[in-house]
Amino acid sequence: MPQITEIAKTGSQRELEMYFGPQHLGMVGNFSITLKVEGDRILKATANPGYLHRGFEKLMEYRTWIQNFPIVCRINLVEPDHMEMIYAMGVEKLAGIEVPERADYVRSIYLELARVGSHLFGLWAYANMLGFDTVAQWAMYHRDLVLDLFEELTGGRVYHIYIWPGGVRRDFPKGFKDKIVKTLHSIGGCVPDYDDTFFNNRLFYDRAHGIGKLSQEQAKSLGAVGQVLRATGMKYDIRRVEPYAAYDKVPWDVPTREDGDAYSRIWVVRDEMIESVHMIFKLLDAMPEGSVYNRIPNPFKWKIPPGEAYVRCESSRGELGLYMVSNGEDKPYRVHFRTPSYSHGLTILEKVLESESVADVGNIMISLYVVAPEIDR
Amino acid sequence: MLRGYGKPGKATKKTKIMDRNQITKWLKSPDKMARKYSLHVVYFCTGCGIIEIPPTITARWDAERFGIIPVATPRQANLFLITGYVSVKTLRAIIRTYEQMPEPKYVIGFGSCPINGGMYWDSYNTIKHLDKYIPVDGWIAGCMPRPEAIIVSVTHLWTLIDKEMANGYLRYKKNYTAYRRNQEMVLGTLEWPPVYQESGNGDQESG
Amino acid sequence: MSSSLKDKLQSMFNNVQVSVLEETRMAVSVPPGSAFAVLRYLRDSGFDHLALVSCVDWQEEGEIEVVYILTSYMENNTEYAPEQKLHLFLKTKVQRDKPELKSVIDIFQNAEPYEREIHELFGVHFEGHPRLIPLFLEREYKIPPFRKDFDTRKYVKDTFDSIPLVED
Repeated sequence: MPQITEIAKTGSQRELEMYFGPQHLGMVGNFSITLKVEGDRILKATANPGYLHRGFEKLMEYRTWIQNFPIVCRINLVEPDHMEMIYAMGVEKLAGIEVPERADYVRSIYLELARVGSHLFGLWAYANMLGFDTVAQWAMYHRDLVLDLFEELTGGRVYHIYIWPGGVRRDFPKGFKDKIVKTLHSIGGCVPDYDDTFFNNRLFYDRAHGIGKLSQEQAKSLGAVGQVLRATGMKYDIRRVEPYAAYDKVPWDVPTREDGDAYSRIWVVRDEMIESVHMIFKLLDAMPEGSVYNRIPNPFKWKIPPGEAYVRCESSRGELGLYMVSNGEDKPYRVHFRTPSYSHGLTILEKVLESESVADVGNIMISLYVVAPEIDR
Repeated sequence: MLRGYGKPGKATKKTKIMDRNQITKWLKSPDKMARKYSLHVVYFCTGCGIIEIPPTITARWDAERFGIIPVATPRQANLFLITGYVSVKTLRAIIRTYEQMPEPKYVIGFGSCPINGGMYWDSYNTIKHLDKYIPVDGWIAGCMPRPEAIIVSVTHLWTLIDKEMANGYLRYKKNYTAYRRNQEMVLGTLEWPPVYQESGNGDQESG
Repeated sequence: MSSSLKDKLQSMFNNVQVSVLEETRMAVSVPPGSAFAVLRYLRDSGFDHLALVSCVDWQEEGEIEVVYILTSYMENNTEYAPEQKLHLFLKTKVQRDKPELKSVIDIFQNAEPYEREIHELFGVHFEGHPRLIPLFLEREYKIPPFRKDFDTRKYVKDTFDSIPLVED
């Protein structure tokens, strides 16, 4: 519940300071915003992160390179797979390890499935916020079908720990390709229902059009990446700009929109989900045979030569980067994650919330696709 | 001879009759039965474990069959699920939320992190043992526990409520000085005054 | 393109060391006084995306190194020229006992939370920053937590394990 802490009467205006705090029905994740409000209009917004800070980067300096894999996937809990991928990419770059070709395809399919699951989670949160509860239940159910696939492949529903430096942990089990195709067909067959109920709905347009508008110049100067930037018209996608894994081997498209408001951002999410599903079918057809990992010598006593590296990949929220420094030991010297929710949730949120209405705060926050643990790490 | 049970190993018509004990239980203590089967959960996403709560409350593992629904404010809730690790800043919000809930209230710690620190046992910003600060009635182990584990733990809580063993809130009132001292040791000064009297016989909160 | 950029930087500023790590990554080391000017020059030559402001603590040499990672967005909305794939690591080293640096918020607006985080976790003071208050942490620490001489396991043992259980 918002707590009203001070009421100031200055002239003919009346200002209130409200906490849109962590225990709130409109907040997804443990994050809080302090709003300075005049009537229904927001004058100033301040983000208060820090409820989820664990000091990850310090903890990772106390564990060896291999022991960091189970802990690194817990930074972003909605989509832990890109965290494993970026850490493995950084380690492979510093140590000079090559990845076999089949492993590239397996990694791409795995990451695209994770992207579909993460977008469905975002759709649950957003549809709940706007009041479309039916669509929220459908999205969560379809995400559970995707998590069933992950459970068969890796053994865990949420945290998988499947990517290993030099490839992936194990190959697809027998009959897995047919299961993927069947699940994706059952999800894809419901897209007309989603469109009729939510995306083409006049109410969605009324509630989200023009809210949280961001022009391309503003987005570039505030450090926006991901859907926030693609909804303003720029085709900036790391899978196209600096291809990794098997993304340059199949043809696919980067969806964009022109307006830059909440409506465009959610439409970009929907288009990306459909593009990911098509990409998985193409990758499954083009996948070669072979082994899925290259052995690393003695992983428990493994030292990496000194150096530094900056690698990046495209998570479902934007550009995810990792700056890694090694000084020749068996533990990392400095690890720093550049997460997309950092600039979205701290700089852009405060800018976009000025002169918006209090009723739209949850709407804007979820359309900016912020995940709170990514900010605090 | 117990009514409602046939000979062991053989299913007879009598096993299909409704369990007579339920009727006696409802007649004897209707408030306990009603409270047990309609636990309202405070909607507060405290940590990692929030990722398995939406599957539990939506259509696939429908928790509303068991009477569990999330509510907006702690004043309407009587179950608090502490999902995942607790950082120092969150502990302040958790204590305040817990004290706002009306009695009787129950707390379940979710995941390995509130039990003994879990994966972040050497982090400078997380709480290692949650039951030093608020009373906890049950734990669920796992990282993350499955939605079935959540529902099973609620049924265990029903058994505890039946046997009058889920009395965390009474322990909180009885040992309030010790809890408050621990809270002040880890959080510094607290912005709210002590909610119960110093002696063990405190009334409902005065704040 | 990277060699022409290297020549331009070395001709315009003093004490600049440029090393090419690989085809798309270049490291530029500057003294702390000229970091602001070099950053403004780089922003004007097309590097308009500040990806990260990071910090490394070199305890044995007694220096803290602040790293700015720069790259560029697309110039038109559909194509990305090969020269635009270059990443620059702009590094400055400051003294560990008295780390001070000028804030770069006037050049890049999104550097504000990065500098706040480096201030509370490493202890570096940024002049000209409008609000250098803690971002994540709630308590006071004698040594900033991410420095190498802060032993986090000993801190946990002293602070959290010393709190007694509540007996029933």
